[in-house]
Amino acid sequence: MAEDKAWSTSAEVTWCPGCGNFGILAAFRQALAASGLEPWQVVVVGGIGQAGKVAQYVGANFLHGLHGRAIPHALGVKLTNPELKVIAVGGDGDMYGEGGNHLLHAFRRNPDIVCLAHNNGVYGLTKGQAAPTSGPGFAVKNREAGTRMPAFNPLAAGLAMGGSFIARGFAGDIKHLSRLIGEALEHKGFGFIDILQPCVTYNYVNTAEWYRKRVYDLELESHNPLDADAARARILEWPAEGDDVEIPIGVFYRSRRPAYETCGRVEVRTASAERRGADPVSVVKKAMEEFR
Amino acid sequence: MSEVNLVIAGRAGQGLQVISRTLGRMLVRTGHHVFISQDVMSRIRGGHSFARVRASTKPVAADGDKTQVLVALDPSLVARHVPDLAEDAVVVTEATDDLPEGLNAVRLPLADLAREHGEDPVMANAAAVGAVLALVGLEPDGLDEMFGSQFAHKGSDVVKRNVAAAEAGFRAISEDRVRCCPHQLLRTEDGRQKTGDAGRKPDRVLISGAEALALGAIAAGVRVVTGYPMSPATPIVEYCFRHARQAGLIVEQTEDEVSAANLAIGAAFAGARAMVCTAGGGFCLMNEALSLDGMTEVPLVWCVGMRPGPATGMATRTAQADVLFSIYAGHGEFPRAVLTPADASQSFRAARDAFRIAERYQTPAIILFDQFMADALWTVDRDELTMDGRRERREPEELKPYSYRRYEATASGVSPLLFPGTPEQLVYADSDEHTEEGHITESRAMRILMVNKRDSKLAGIRQDLEAAKVEDMAEGEAEVLAFCFGSARGVVAEAVTRLRGEGRKVAMVHLKHVWPFPADAVSGLVGDGRKVVTVEQNYSGQLAQLLLQECGLRAAGTVRRYDGRPFTVAEVEAGLRELMGATSG
Repeated sequence: MAEDKAWSTSAEVTWCPGCGNFGILAAFRQALAASGLEPWQVVVVGGIGQAGKVAQYVGANFLHGLHGRAIPHALGVKLTNPELKVIAVGGDGDMYGEGGNHLLHAFRRNPDIVCLAHNNGVYGLTKGQAAPTSGPGFAVKNREAGTRMPAFNPLAAGLAMGGSFIARGFAGDIKHLSRLIGEALEHKGFGFIDILQPCVTYNYVNTAEWYRKRVYDLELESHNPLDADAARARILEWPAEGDDVEIPIGVFYRSRRPAYETCGRVEVRTASAERRGADPVSVVKKAMEEFR
Repeated sequence: MSEVNLVIAGRAGQGLQVISRTLGRMLVRTGHHVFISQDVMSRIRGGHSFARVRASTKPVAADGDKTQVLVALDPSLVARHVPDLAEDAVVVTEATDDLPEGLNAVRLPLADLAREHGEDPVMANAAAVGAVLALVGLEPDGLDEMFGSQFAHKGSDVVKRNVAAAEAGFRAISEDRVRCCPHQLLRTEDGRQKTGDAGRKPDRVLISGAEALALGAIAAGVRVVTGYPMSPATPIVEYCFRHARQAGLIVEQTEDEVSAANLAIGAAFAGARAMVCTAGGGFCLMNEALSLDGMTEVPLVWCVGMRPGPATGMATRTAQADVLFSIYAGHGEFPRAVLTPADASQSFRAARDAFRIAERYQTPAIILFDQFMADALWTVDRDELTMDGRRERREPEELKPYSYRRYEATASGVSPLLFPGTPEQLVYADSDEHTEEGHITESRAMRILMVNKRDSKLAGIRQDLEAAKVEDMAEGEAEVLAFCFGSARGVVAEAVTRLRGEGRKVAMVHLKHVWPFPADAVSGLVGDGRKVVTVEQNYSGQLAQLLLQECGLRAAGTVRRYDGRPFTVAEVEAGLRELMGATSG
């Protein structure tokens, strides 16, 4: 699939040569080009970090905001104008560290937005500190003996919190990743993709080659993403310790929970479109009677 | 003039807010001006809470001095209020022998009346409403409508039983004890209450500061309201939530304050009139988002409620100690407005002003209020609460496809505003320093251009807001100016009026906004010789600091209070008298 030239900008791309982000950006652009959406119909919300910069490079509307806050920004945009296709993009520090609480509640809330979490297991923009997804023993400059905690498993958290679309992609497999992003764009709910990504500058363990040897496509294993128990088992395969681990990629789990904006229990209306039946004038008038 | 000051005391959970509001509305309907303040402990059940109800034939915007009628739903609470009782005070409480000596006590079996007529002892509060009406010489007219609107959600049976309990309370007094209370509100010969209004029939409402803020925002066309529960901002969000469907609002209680602020920024970026509500502690958490708001130039209204800090402080009590914080909150430099409305009427209009400033200057507009103002009930003329949902957005002229520049440099610093979703245009909002398009830049020239663009907007905001003025006496007479802001206005105005009655040459200047500080207007008012004092609810005299910083004016003194309770007129009067010393009168 050729990359559509509409999905590009004049912004200078400032990643390191060989960065996994290039693969993710290419896959993202392909998915957008295939979606039939126009750039003005799309809002990309970026966190702060190398991954968040994707917002500036895609060629859609963007809100390049704060570290960890891409999900609240995206939710605000989506609730206000549900006709927009909204994608939140951030790194592992963004989505799993600083913004972890927002991610947990986004799984619960299930807004119709896509979340791309670039996961390279290390902090790039701030030069090489441990990330929530750094595995135990991962040596970083401020802790040479390695981190002491197990790596965060965002897919397990997502399943526990009622996530409706839980997937993992790999920056080194652009074709597979662009298809995953396309599925997330079409999913009516919180389309979450954890994206494995090498960091050529700071992560000497989880290199592109390291990942390539270990990833396998769930679809080829006839995994049924509607089966929560099967999803749980696959999700718990990795992160795990040991050299012989295998890392599944693809859609682990999906369900048809209604998206937040269309869920009958919440009073959500579009702020920009015609608000059926809404009448602030009568609210003020009626209030005058209530307070008399 | 006739005036009665009541205190209604009870345990949390005894329905004090319902009783004080119901009584207050009855009094407003009979033509009186009512002011009610709430003294509430931070607990859900038990403790000791009370409401002060002041009813007068003249406008009132502060608590009265001495309590003339005390209603204690729990007799054990009477003793705590004895020091504040007027000499001829009447105390209404349960039938009990265990009361302090020397009180003019009316012992009523409130709980029994409630049980008998309302089938529920909790309706003792309704029985007390009826009793008070009888004591001050009013009729129990319109009780069904009153309870009907308060308890509509609980069903007609609950309404009926409350009315029955209230009528029983009324009868208990009126049938044999009507002469026991010297504190009567004026009545005319035909039994209707006489008021100070001649001619026009007054059309007034009794509304809390928080409700007025919420309603003002609705009237101004707000679409998205966010918050995380925290006193004293919670009632604003709850009011909006109750009316969300009809007003066409999206009201979101988020997982935390950080999310509330950032969700609102996303909403405003996408084109919604948005407002985020919080208290001082939550506002601390939101500071990075405030800074983002300044950088991205998203129009957003921030409702920030003050309570005593630092940290959790006193959760349900009041303070005015976050003024300097609100002016300087958020890292980096960016323009903002900080509005400090005095009461419900000003709060309603502050919401409209805040949206106007936020949209016209594409910048944060903060409404800084406090617990006392938000929870108090104020009598407001309906004329003062009118709709105004105009858009203040400056849209770009005709554009070629994909040529919009969100941060186009202009003389005013304000760029034409489009929202994402505009066909064939892209809208960028960038937290990094950015070009006119909105892309990251580290260019020195562009940085200077953008800093100048953003910060030059403050000049426009300064001009836009109404200048400060001497509020309560003819220009030129006063030798001492008492400066205050926010909720202190009602108390200071009354204290100043009393002092002037003694011949003291003092006047009040109330600041409805503290940022951009109205320096020229203030300097003009003070002139060469007038003495300046401030009245404020904080320890360090933050308004005095602003006067020095912005106008070079050194206040001769500050009347302060920082125990979490609102000022009383008497203490402000005494404080001002002391500060004025020999200089005046």
